Amino acid sequence: MEPLQSPASMDVEAAPAEPNLPAKPLFAPLKAHEMSDGRVQFRKVSVPPHRYSPLKKLWMDIYTPVYEHMRIDIRMNLKARKVELKTRRDTPDVSNLQKCADFVQAFMLGFDVPDAVALLRLDELYVESFEIKDVKTLRGEHLSRAIGRLSGKGGKTKFAIENATKTRIVIADSKIHILGSFANIKIARDSLCSLILGSPAGKVYSKLRAVSARLAERF
Amino acid sequence: MVNPEEAGLQVLHRLKSTDPPIWLAPNPSLSQETRAASLHLFSSLKPFSPKSPFDHLLVDGFDAEQIWQQIDLQSQPLLSSLRRELRRFEKDPGEISNLFGDGEASEGKGKGRGGGGGDVKESQRGNIDDLGGVGMEVDGFDEIDEDGDSDEEEDGEEEGVEDRGVEGGESEEGEEERNDGGIEDKFLKIKELEEYLREDEAREYGLEDATKKNKKEKKVVTSDSDEEEEEEEEEEEGDDDELGEFDVDDEDDEGKDKLGIRYEDFFGAKKKKVTQRKPKSSDELGYSTDDDEEEENGADGNKGNHNLSTHEKELLDLKAKIEQMEKSNLEPKTWTMQGEVTAAKRPKNSALEVDLDFEHNARPAPVITEEVTASLEELIRSRIREGHFDDVEKPPSLPTKGPREIKQLDENKSKRGLAEIYEEEYAQRTSLASAPLSFSDELKKEASLLFKKVSLKLDALSHFHFAPKPIIEDMSIQANVPALAMEEIAPLAVSDAAMLAPEEVFAGKGDLKDETELTQAERKRRRAKKKRIHKTAATKRMAKKGRETAANRSEGKEE
Repeated sequence: MEPLQSPASMDVEAAPAEPNLPAKPLFAPLKAHEMSDGRVQFRKVSVPPHRYSPLKKLWMDIYTPVYEHMRIDIRMNLKARKVELKTRRDTPDVSNLQKCADFVQAFMLGFDVPDAVALLRLDELYVESFEIKDVKTLRGEHLSRAIGRLSGKGGKTKFAIENATKTRIVIADSKIHILGSFANIKIARDSLCSLILGSPAGKVYSKLRAVSARLAERF
Repeated sequence: MVNPEEAGLQVLHRLKSTDPPIWLAPNPSLSQETRAASLHLFSSLKPFSPKSPFDHLLVDGFDAEQIWQQIDLQSQPLLSSLRRELRRFEKDPGEISNLFGDGEASEGKGKGRGGGGGDVKESQRGNIDDLGGVGMEVDGFDEIDEDGDSDEEEDGEEEGVEDRGVEGGESEEGEEERNDGGIEDKFLKIKELEEYLREDEAREYGLEDATKKNKKEKKVVTSDSDEEEEEEEEEEEGDDDELGEFDVDDEDDEGKDKLGIRYEDFFGAKKKKVTQRKPKSSDELGYSTDDDEEEENGADGNKGNHNLSTHEKELLDLKAKIEQMEKSNLEPKTWTMQGEVTAAKRPKNSALEVDLDFEHNARPAPVITEEVTASLEELIRSRIREGHFDDVEKPPSLPTKGPREIKQLDENKSKRGLAEIYEEEYAQRTSLASAPLSFSDELKKEASLLFKKVSLKLDALSHFHFAPKPIIEDMSIQANVPALAMEEIAPLAVSDAAMLAPEEVFAGKGDLKDETELTQAERKRRRAKKKRIHKTAATKRMAKKGRETAANRSEGKEE
């Protein structure tokens, strides 16, 4: 209140000598805990049934970075089948909670833990999801064939795109999730869309090569 | 038969004595006398002529032409035989001396001439080629005349003839000998040359000129009638002209009658020409005009109009040509000259007869013969042997820049997590760590490592001096390194600083035996042991799988 008012009422002209005014205030950055007025923040991530057992298997791998490094409380609500996250007092940054929530969400979408951990470490990574029907309406066999085209034999096409664009791709029925930086997501998305629309893998490869080469040159 | 002979001789004498102008005007007495003379001559010559249908010349009530025909009948074969004899004597002059020895009869046969004095001269003339001996001819003519005149009055007819003939022959021969003495030798014979030339010219000019030649030959020949007289004079006049113009015509006379002027020579050719012109008018222009020209030339000449000069004759030819061409111009053209002609406008199958010329733009198909095939096969074989094929080769691209590293798309699941990848990238950007080696770089590194090993060994073998082993920087944990590394002055090969205890080298248990050293029992033991281990491992695996499936099922139920 006071500190807020004083700058407003301060005159520019009477600069040099005004010992009456108090010193410039110093504000320490708010802790996550304090941000919402000391209230604790929650995030809840629902667990799909097919990710239940992997979650059970890899629980420790998820728990450790969240609890240790991000200083976020994490627990699994078995009844509600949800993973709950909560800030602690010593949570350094307010964004940690969101990052952890994104990390857990990425795991739920289907990404591996080492890949999802990148979300915790880097700021600029995002997850984009879209469906095949967003690109082209395909039904029945065509849809199956499109999915097959996307993955390739033994998943080699998918891996090729992943390696070339430094992203991670998850194809779940007709939903596609891409994890990576913004530009890389774009490239991967273009490749996947061209595959959905019907171009052969070789063509996609050649385009990928060109683009990734260009990307690499930039740095 | 002396009386008729004497009468004949007398008549001949009288004929001889008459002045030439009297011959110009038709004189009945003169004609009678000449008839008698010719009768006499005919009968005198009859024994010599091989075949003559008449015993004596039929003179009374006969026309000049008829009498002439009779004489002709007799004289022609006679002439040919005489010519043969003459030739024989030319080739072999030795025989002439024999003749002299034999007697007059044979001489007469050999040298006898047919007809009157003119015939004698004629035959002589015929033998001597114009080209070779015009002068000779003239000389011969004069000399013979002189001889004949001198002899005729003294001796009998036959003798006179014979003598004349002989002398004429002699003189002729003498001429020949005299003239030939300078030119001829055993190699060159002018007679043969003349003969050959005659024959050649005959071939060249053809029979059409024979008529001209005949006309020329008739110059000298005289018979008995008025016509003959006229002809004689005409011929004498025309002699010079014809000698100048028709030098080459002499040969053909041998083919025809040398003696006399014949009807065909004057009138017959004209008919031929007329008849020949009609069929030829249907022929093409050029051909017919040529023929017509020749015919016309012959006819004009044969008309006996020696009044026409060369120029006039040429003009006539031209006129004829022009006429011909104008006539053909008036006629409708042949279909070949009409420009565009369809099949309907020309006669049937006429295109087959004409040589049509087409421009074929396409190359004609090659005829495949055995040689062509053989040549092709030879070519193929040689090419295969050399290995020289015409394959299309890619042009070598200039290496302006180094080969671009084609980024290989890794189609396997990446072993490193996304976080690690980005970590590396970040480190690169902030240059904390070096750039990651690409796939090709790793391969290169491996390759260079291997090569270094190999080259080290080779150097050790080949070099005389010792080169120590190169240090390969490798971060690895070595357990059996000594705690303290003392500096050694002894060379590496000798020093035992890196010496290892046997246990450090190999740590094994008990008495090690090779497979070949084992006994049967030991081998069995080893096999049993292996089986036991394998069995336990298998059971463990099965148990593990069972547990997993059970857990999955339970989990499924829970969810």
